[in-house]
Amino acid sequence: MSTDALKKRKSKVIRGEGGNPETKRGRGEVDQDVRSYNEEGELDGRDPEYDYQQYKESCDSLAKLMSEIQELKANGAKEGNAEVELRRMQGCIHFMNLKKLNRLAHMRLKKGRDQTHEAKQKVDVLHLQLQNLLYEVMHLQKEISKCLEFKSKHEEIDLVSEEEFYQDAPEEISRPNLTRNDLHQLTLARLDWELEQRKRLAEKYKESLSMKEKIQKSIEVKKEHLRSLQPGLNGIMQASLPVQDYLSMPFEKTQKQAEIARHLPPPLYVLFVQANAYGEACDKNLSVSICGDVDEARALSKPPDDSQDDESDSDAEEEQEKTKRRRPTVGGQLDDKRREMLKRHPLSLNLDLQCKDGSTLHLYFFYLMNLNIMTVKTKVSTSTDLNTAISAGELLKSDTLLSCLYSSDQGRETPNPANRYQFDKVGIVSFSDYVDELGYPYMWVQNLGGLHFPSETSEGVLVGSSLSASHMESTMKLLKGRVQSRLALNKQFASLEHSIIPITSECQHLFPAKIVSRLARWTTISQQEYTELSFTRHVSEAGLARETDLYFMGVVERGTARLHAAVVLSPRYPEISPLFSLSLNWKGERSGRTDDNLRAMESEVNVFKNELQGPKPGHQLLTNQIARLCVCLDVYLETEVQDDSVEGPREFPREKMCLRTVRGPNRLKPFKYNHPQGFFSHR
Amino acid sequence: MGPVELLHMTVFSQSFSPCGRFLAAGNNYGQVALFSLAAALSPDATAANQKPVLTFKAHEGPVFSLLSNDGVLLSAGNGEVSAWSWTELIKKNVKPLWTKRPDYKSGLEIPEINSMAINRRDNSLAVGAGDNNVHILDLEHGAFKATLQGHTDYVHCVCMREREAELLSGGEDGAVRMWDSRTGQCVHRIELYKYESCARPQYGKWISCLTTDSDWMLCGGGPSLSLWHLRSLSPTSVFPLSGCQRQAIFHQDMILAAGDGAFVSHCLLGGEVKAQIPCTAPSLNTLQLNTRSSEHRMLTVGGGSNRIDIFTNLSYRAFSLSF
Repeated sequence: MSTDALKKRKSKVIRGEGGNPETKRGRGEVDQDVRSYNEEGELDGRDPEYDYQQYKESCDSLAKLMSEIQELKANGAKEGNAEVELRRMQGCIHFMNLKKLNRLAHMRLKKGRDQTHEAKQKVDVLHLQLQNLLYEVMHLQKEISKCLEFKSKHEEIDLVSEEEFYQDAPEEISRPNLTRNDLHQLTLARLDWELEQRKRLAEKYKESLSMKEKIQKSIEVKKEHLRSLQPGLNGIMQASLPVQDYLSMPFEKTQKQAEIARHLPPPLYVLFVQANAYGEACDKNLSVSICGDVDEARALSKPPDDSQDDESDSDAEEEQEKTKRRRPTVGGQLDDKRREMLKRHPLSLNLDLQCKDGSTLHLYFFYLMNLNIMTVKTKVSTSTDLNTAISAGELLKSDTLLSCLYSSDQGRETPNPANRYQFDKVGIVSFSDYVDELGYPYMWVQNLGGLHFPSETSEGVLVGSSLSASHMESTMKLLKGRVQSRLALNKQFASLEHSIIPITSECQHLFPAKIVSRLARWTTISQQEYTELSFTRHVSEAGLARETDLYFMGVVERGTARLHAAVVLSPRYPEISPLFSLSLNWKGERSGRTDDNLRAMESEVNVFKNELQGPKPGHQLLTNQIARLCVCLDVYLETEVQDDSVEGPREFPREKMCLRTVRGPNRLKPFKYNHPQGFFSHR
Repeated sequence: MGPVELLHMTVFSQSFSPCGRFLAAGNNYGQVALFSLAAALSPDATAANQKPVLTFKAHEGPVFSLLSNDGVLLSAGNGEVSAWSWTELIKKNVKPLWTKRPDYKSGLEIPEINSMAINRRDNSLAVGAGDNNVHILDLEHGAFKATLQGHTDYVHCVCMREREAELLSGGEDGAVRMWDSRTGQCVHRIELYKYESCARPQYGKWISCLTTDSDWMLCGGGPSLSLWHLRSLSPTSVFPLSGCQRQAIFHQDMILAAGDGAFVSHCLLGGEVKAQIPCTAPSLNTLQLNTRSSEHRMLTVGGGSNRIDIFTNLSYRAFSLSF
């Protein structure tokens, strides 16, 4: 029931409250139309701060009233007590007030929200606008930069410079008054001028072309004319041949040779050119010619499939070689392969080196195509017929003639290291089996042909013509020297075999007038025979008896004494002197190993050889050595101490004049001959 | 020096340095070569270590005699004596300290010097020369002070008998002469070829080796090598060695001798030949024992070859030095 009453009161209060502004309005009846009851309107007028204060006060006084009522009730106040009622009333009023404040607060909140929303919307619109504007700006900027980057084609055109333009261009194109200050106009004008000029040049080009055609036509005509002259000239040439021969001017021949030379393989060609050049410049005695089948060579220089046919028409010589080379153990296929590998170029080079005494050294140079090496064969022809000395047989043979022209160049093995592998493939053990047929692949031959193969001791590497040129002169000199020394030896051997030691007048002073010992025998021996001799062992052990050397045995006799002299003759004689080893058969056998005096005689001829050299280049060394050996044997025998116990006259009376017969700890005899005084002394 | 020259080389003389670490050897070309023994003996020695550390031309003629004295190497060749400082030679400075030539009477040919011996008593050098005389060089004053004349042919060898102040010389004339080194007078003369026990007329009469040890003398040459008792001047033993001996030395209770034939003979004092040790050279000229350095104790043998054989043990050749 009380709640009902409360509700009533509440509604009353509401009304009452609602009525409060009415009362206010009522109070201000004057401006009624403006002051209509409007809680929302009231809202604007009220200060929220103030409302909050009111709310606090109401809450405080409400709490106060409640505590007062509780106090009163505790003190026993009855329901309906006036004081309590009063306070309840006052409490109700306060509640009313709180209610109103609550409403106001809600309204304020709503209003605030609305305002916020509105403002937000406005901001959104503005933002959108801003975005649009920014995009527009960007687009415009891009456009600007595109414009700025624009390239005109005219920039690639090479224009004449500005000064030249003003100088050359006519007024109507250059328009200086307009273009001087305006760069754009200037460019346009220059372009115009360029166009004008190009047009003119194009016209000129056309003119030139037509001119060229005209000239070409005239050349054709002239050529035709010249061609018609050829047969006539040939006729004249043919007619002039006898005249050329008569005047010994071999124009025709050299021309032909040059024509053939074009078919030479490169190494032979290098040699051909260099030898020709050397012959013309330094040595008139050198003549070069080309031998062999030109047609075959011509065919070879064509593509390889053509060259296949050449094998069939290989000449008789090669066929002969083939049969020679065939070994019973090796199949025919392998043999063919070998033959192919060792094939020579059809052309060969023939160098004739004429010496002063009229003898000629013929050198035949070949090129082995598949091995890429050059070989040489030699022949010596002499103007006078040589007395055939048996011991000299080896001297002019082609296998020893040029051996060791340069030190240790024996020409037995191929200088091209690559050949080793090629040989392995076809089962060739050593190139030296073939040198007799193919010629000798000496190192100097490769050098003359401009071929360079690396070796253990490689110095500066020259290749081609420069290599050939650098070796040409020295090699030619060596070749000449070699032939001359061999020919000299040949002559000397002929007389040595007749037990005559040829001593020229220049060398007469080296020996006393009277030599009693005589050369009894001079023969050639083999290396094996030489090494088997007991008194040559020390030479073999010292490595001075080589395979390439020539070996001889001389016997010097006087009375019952026989002196055997084993001689090692180097192929490089006289540059390397002959080496003598001695053995004396007299009262038992003695040799240079057991008798100090014989050893001294050996050194007399071997070590003091420089005195015996004779006139340069020392071709008389060997004979002088033998002559000195005879003298030394005389001294040896004449100074030998007489055994007093043996009766009878001395076998060898003292004839040589000696200062002392023995000297020094090893009691050497005086072997040194002093020329003008004619006595013998010690070294 | 080419291979042919090496083939005909003869080593005539040797001498060890005072320190015993080097060996000097003279050959027939007038060269003296210095070998480093320490290098050649080292366990990792190669062929290069057996080559001379220094070779120099000392004289024009062959170097027949080398002698070390007082830090000086004396070399004789071409009739003159040169002195070289060992310390300088080891440093490879080749310059003679002095060169002296005896006053020879004969003119045409320069007489050679075959042998030299030091007399420590008065610091003089006895030089056996080719002019049949022994010349005495005073090393103090550097002048030849005396000439011992008496031999009728050239003097092969000289040697000193320290205790008695006697100088012995042996010559081509077959005589061994004993000289009083103070007065220069010949005290004794022994002519070996006249004693039947040692005479060998098939060879000749010259005396080419001579050495003494207290009262004993060892000499030989054309006559057989024989041991003599000097107080009684009689031969006590004759050694049956074939060929002529060029050098003999006393070693402990043994005699080492070398000469014709490629071997060193070991003989007992009694006269037996105990052993003949083969060498490389076909004939030998010089024997030398290194007693100056205990670590390089060895026998070196040179002769008609460019090699010098080294015996670290007397009974076999260890290796060879070579020019």
